Amino acid sequence: MKVFKIILAALLVILALVITASALTTRDILPALLERMDPENLAAHDAAMQKAKDRVTTALSENNPERAQRSLDRYINGFSAQLTLSGRVGYDLFFFRNGPSMLALALFLAVAAAGLIAHALDRSSKVRKLVLPAILITVLYVGVYIMENIAGANSMLMTVLKKGAIYALIAVSMNLLNGFTGLFSLGQAGFMLIGAYTYAIFSIETQSRAQVYQYYAGGIIQFQLPALLSIALAGLAAALFAFLIGWPVLRLKSDYLAIATLGFAEIIRAIFQYDGLGPLTNGSNLLRKFTVFETALFPFAVAGVCIALIALLIHSTYGRSFKAIRDDEVAAEAMGINLYAHKQMAFVISSFFAGVGGALLAMYQTTVQAAAFTSAMTYEILLIVVIGGMGSISGSVIASFLFVAASEWWLRFLDNETMLGSFRVPLLRSGFRMVVFSVVIMAVVLFYRKGIMGDRELSLGRFRRGLSRRKKGGAQDG
Amino acid sequence: MADAMLELSHVTMQFGGVVAVDNLSMHIDQDEIVALIGPNGAGKTTAFNCITGVYTPTSGQVFYRGELIVSNRPQGRMKTLYAGSHKDFPTQIVVNTPDRITKMGLARTFQNIRLFKTQTVFENVLIATHLHRTSNLFTATMRLNRQEERSFREHAMSMLEAVGLQDEKDELAVSLPYGKQRRLEIARALATRPRLLLLDEPAAGMNPQETDALGRFIVDIRSRFGLTVFLIEHHMDLVMDISDRIYVIDFGRQIAHGIPEQIQDNPDVITAYLGVDEE
Repeated sequence: MKVFKIILAALLVILALVITASALTTRDILPALLERMDPENLAAHDAAMQKAKDRVTTALSENNPERAQRSLDRYINGFSAQLTLSGRVGYDLFFFRNGPSMLALALFLAVAAAGLIAHALDRSSKVRKLVLPAILITVLYVGVYIMENIAGANSMLMTVLKKGAIYALIAVSMNLLNGFTGLFSLGQAGFMLIGAYTYAIFSIETQSRAQVYQYYAGGIIQFQLPALLSIALAGLAAALFAFLIGWPVLRLKSDYLAIATLGFAEIIRAIFQYDGLGPLTNGSNLLRKFTVFETALFPFAVAGVCIALIALLIHSTYGRSFKAIRDDEVAAEAMGINLYAHKQMAFVISSFFAGVGGALLAMYQTTVQAAAFTSAMTYEILLIVVIGGMGSISGSVIASFLFVAASEWWLRFLDNETMLGSFRVPLLRSGFRMVVFSVVIMAVVLFYRKGIMGDRELSLGRFRRGLSRRKKGGAQDG
Repeated sequence: MADAMLELSHVTMQFGGVVAVDNLSMHIDQDEIVALIGPNGAGKTTAFNCITGVYTPTSGQVFYRGELIVSNRPQGRMKTLYAGSHKDFPTQIVVNTPDRITKMGLARTFQNIRLFKTQTVFENVLIATHLHRTSNLFTATMRLNRQEERSFREHAMSMLEAVGLQDEKDELAVSLPYGKQRRLEIARALATRPRLLLLDEPAAGMNPQETDALGRFIVDIRSRFGLTVFLIEHHMDLVMDISDRIYVIDFGRQIAHGIPEQIQDNPDVITAYLGVDEE
């Protein structure tokens, strides 16, 4: 087993080296190609070939087989040079176009090989714990990068991946509150709105402000902050609002929080469209021309870091007390956990990350308008959390990608009227997608009562145990 | 003699017009095991809830090691509704939430077991170490508190060993049999490092052998952890066996107080439990 792993790793390393070498030595073949394709050069080549052919004929007619042989050789060499060139063109063009992704692929293979070797040599739990997740994360990011270069940044696949990553962050932030702390909040869209607006307001290009705020004399803010700083401010603004709402509401027991946060989300949407705030929020007009991301790696990186932070928090002593509050408030309080302080903590942190998610969503959409952040958006995210499993981070992540893919992509065809030959497929028309989508969700809820993941997490250990159990079971059956 | 470990002074708890605890005064000294008994609905658990901050008593004071931790007088509607027998109200108002009272060193268990249902046996105990944290949100999230985390885990593990549940540590708390769930609740309370342990019917639903073992266990942890124990219990054998003193209440009022032998022969107690002999 160990030997097998090392051999496999060696093969991967060789492959990675070959790909790297090819990607690095590739050159822009186009100038050379164009030169060859130049009519003069082509004519010269054709003339040379014709001449060689003529020489063969002449040699044969002169009954001189040696010369005929030599001329024929030259003729054939001319052909094969042409052939080599065309083969080389395809190869070089591929590596030239996809050079960066090929390098990424090589990195990917090298990391996989390193992981295999580390795994084969050291069986201690620390290596297993650190190396495998590190490999998986590298694989994920490199995979996204390669897909983006192959499928194109504006392809449906990349759209779904970008939006999925953003929704994953927002769903995990909601899960922190609803799934892990047991507080039922319905204000996610409101906090996203605050995040999106804060981000947009601070990162609009200074020279475009007059154009964006055309009805408000260019707005009151006349500077532009860097994207990451604006994102942090977006989170902080959402957190501040959460703190102010939580202050009175979280002292109450039971579900008043849901009502208060739902009301807050509706009110904040109206306030941001209020004309009097126009110099800041641009009233009910769009905010645009702010910094957006070029590559899907950006939302993946930001969402990944944020989700990792939430996961670390949940597995810390504070996260344990959040779960205690969810399971039994009375017992948690009797164990010395200050209910209000901990609920406020969870609420503020959740809203912070919802604000960051809102900022990413603004970047993804490239424009922001308050009217889009309806309570339906909150319900979408709540749906993701419930389908993924209350109290499962990986569940929320998986469910958000599935949700976005299904609603934006896979079920799209249901909205188009389709003809099979002369047969018009019944039911397919605009809006039918949502009917099917609802049925799919009902089916998921029926078969997975507690969501796809329940309150468990996706873990390599569990996966491996599952495999070995299956193997054992198979052996017993056999 | 230093201050009593716990002292209740004229505590009255009234819900609407119902006086659940009426003018209850008692004291518990260091290292004692004191039992609070009484028929069903006598107000025992309400008295517990007044001490631990779940309820704020309508009137009366509670001292813990000489420190005033709860003090209240009838307010608002209660000024006119008040029906307790003690009319001399304290002037101070001191209200503490249960978490603060636990931090002071009083830990409790519950009559109807309240474990954290989705968590393992070990996690249940580990949560009770949270109140001794010195890490803040940032250091805990960034794992800068490894030392503390390790000491928490060791402490939780030693509490599980103290109650003999170390082998079940990775099982779900709710999957344990009843008696072990009770022991787990005690371990969880002990993990908060209390000086005074309040046990609300620890032997409920146990058979005689288990009750017997529980009695020995309570005496054992008292000496091992230097605890004072205040318990509510219905199993008379257990109460008579381990208690240093007993308070008896009925309809919220104290009807008897003394060492077990005195209580056993007290005609008021017998009346309260068995009803009046009709002859």
